Amino acid sequence: MAKDMEQLYAERLKRYVTAMRNGKPDKIPIRPFVAEFVAKYAGYTCQEVTHDYEKAFAATRKCAADFDWDAVVINMVWVWTGLTEAIGTKYYAVPGIHIPPDTGFQYREPPEEQAFMKPDEYDQLIEDPTGYLFNVWLPRVSADVAAMGEPTSYRNNLSFLKGGMAMLSYFNACGPQVERLRRESGTVSAISGILKAPFDIIADKLRGYLGLVTDVMERPDKVLAACEALMPHLTHVALSGADPDKNVPIGFWMHRGCVPFVSQKHFDKFYWPTLKPIIEEIWANGHQVLFYAEGNWNAHLKSFAELPDQAIVYHVDHADIFEVHKVLGQKFCISGGIPNYLLSVGTPDEVRDCCKKVIDGVARDGGYIMDASAIIQNDAKIENIKAMTDFTREYGTY
Amino acid sequence: MAKKTKTKRKPGVCIPWEEKVKEIPKISGDKELVRKIWEDVDALGYMYIWQCLLSF
Repeated sequence: MAKDMEQLYAERLKRYVTAMRNGKPDKIPIRPFVAEFVAKYAGYTCQEVTHDYEKAFAATRKCAADFDWDAVVINMVWVWTGLTEAIGTKYYAVPGIHIPPDTGFQYREPPEEQAFMKPDEYDQLIEDPTGYLFNVWLPRVSADVAAMGEPTSYRNNLSFLKGGMAMLSYFNACGPQVERLRRESGTVSAISGILKAPFDIIADKLRGYLGLVTDVMERPDKVLAACEALMPHLTHVALSGADPDKNVPIGFWMHRGCVPFVSQKHFDKFYWPTLKPIIEEIWANGHQVLFYAEGNWNAHLKSFAELPDQAIVYHVDHADIFEVHKVLGQKFCISGGIPNYLLSVGTPDEVRDCCKKVIDGVARDGGYIMDASAIIQNDAKIENIKAMTDFTREYGTY
Repeated sequence: MAKKTKTKRKPGVCIPWEEKVKEIPKISGDKELVRKIWEDVDALGYMYIWQCLLSF
């Protein structure tokens, strides 16, 4: 049995990697980014899988065992709110605490005037990003961490102790989860490591979207310098979490750096020049990056096409996947394109029809991985995920 | 406590070894071992804050 699993794992890894290198494997790999769907399938609430990562791991393993998937993320629910609550993080709405137990966790961006970074603090961030995060940012995002100059406290001290111990606990549990997926169901861990673009992370966690789009008009030089200051750190973090075997890509989560959130001019000035060198550096180190293009980034496909062949895997959310294939298909593997609304409210026949259309349109020569458009949450119907899986297995053989 | 000098922190580093080594007595044993372990544990602090920003 163990030998069979190892053989199955080897077949799936080869299939997945071949497609990601834009080659033609034996079959179309299936790699659904299943988030709160795993809770629904395994009989847990969103609260359980978000607040207890062991339950999220178990639910993911159950799905991996029951569905014929080549690869999954070890825990696509991603944020362990046990950790964020332990350190007093303010920006999450946690299932079962701030929102109903069966609603996925939410990120709550503060109003512009309460942004975690003030507009006159760019120089501090530019001078010393790590110091700024510890000394200024963390006290603002945590209810327990004391700001510099303020008296320390029991809660402050505990926040660092519990936070550090909790993070190690979580990360140390990831390795065994990878191994159990391999051993118990022959499933590949889909990604390793994390990257966000400098411009995106300033909007997400520092200035907020409204603050940043004001800054690009009022203090553009500071914004660019801040993006540049973040580049080596984001590169370092991405590489430090990358797959040592260089098989699976680093996950790159793309948020609000595209048209129409910003203009083409601002994409060209801020987003792309401070992201492209990171991708090139990561590729020079032998790692692919999975562009998880949330929303619609088709205004920027020509920029992405500047990257070296095979350097990225490009995941399609709301965008026209056929246009993506036309511009990027010769250079990069593409994934996704099955709309989440269809998985939620459609019928299995409609899902199969959509999968056929996507496969016929973009997967004829390989270089395609079956997946939904965005992470699959608990609104997806189980029969539709089954239809997507089974149809791809039946129809997606080369 | 020794006077701290402000150092621009490189990726992977919270408190550089060059700064720390000025604060401790002359190392009679294996200096390289002390440096390596300092940097390995220091990197965990770096991981903590950047993962708070990016993952959590």
